[in-house]
Amino acid sequence: MKKFEHEVIFCIVNAGFSDAVMDAAREFGARGGTVIRARGTANMEAEKLFGITVQPEKELVMILVKSAIKEDILHALYRAVGLNTPGQGIAFSMPVDQVVGLSEAPIEPKAEEQAE
Amino acid sequence: MSEAITKKEKTPIRARAARAPRGSKRIEQVTAPHKLKLLFTIVNRQKAELYADLLQAYDVNMQMFLSAQGTASTEMLQYLGLGDDEKVVIASIIREDLAADALHMLEEKFRTIKNGKGIAYTVPMSGTIGVAVYQFLCNHRGDRV
Repeated sequence: MKKFEHEVIFCIVNAGFSDAVMDAAREFGARGGTVIRARGTANMEAEKLFGITVQPEKELVMILVKSAIKEDILHALYRAVGLNTPGQGIAFSMPVDQVVGLSEAPIEPKAEEQAE
Repeated sequence: MSEAITKKEKTPIRARAARAPRGSKRIEQVTAPHKLKLLFTIVNRQKAELYADLLQAYDVNMQMFLSAQGTASTEMLQYLGLGDDEKVVIASIIREDLAADALHMLEEKFRTIKNGKGIAYTVPMSGTIGVAVYQFLCNHRGDRV
């Protein structure tokens, strides 16, 4: 079984919540992400039946991370922008087998850590 | 009757296998179909066409451009208006045996092209449907020239 060193996390949230996604991901070591505007589609019949509307404007955030921190980030995203939050987000990850262009410089410590 | 037919069909195959030992030329000619990968390339919007053209040299027949925005971590650059966060995600379908070469080329271009920094990664594809679609995606021209 091939072991993948990196994973790409896709997180689909309501428009305007991409910053919340990145804030949650950065806490666990993610560096940066890419936001793609998207349009969600929902089952119209189900929407009528349940009397809810699904906001069609979505943002798809792609975050490339090391496999070691993937689980932590997915849990953080679930807590911060999961389906039970206004962000109504879903997140999933896919294996990435080859990567180029990532900077390997260490992440700068947070302000509180620097003060210590 | 049907048993007789199957026996007749089986004999020549066995005979061929006996004549052609493992590793011989006849067996090597049979090649497995190429596996495909999804190559994501994220670059500045001005350089999107350039990178798409470069990738087409690696038997890439289909590319999708997605307008995107980078999540700039350097806030000061944003305040100064220097942050170039307008990006394009180029999703290309590429043959597995050519993916490594394409990534090496991209790595070099990311380093050498001014304002051309980006990242690229490949994701394995597990399936596709339709022979014509597959041949188009892996640029298998066969006898068509």
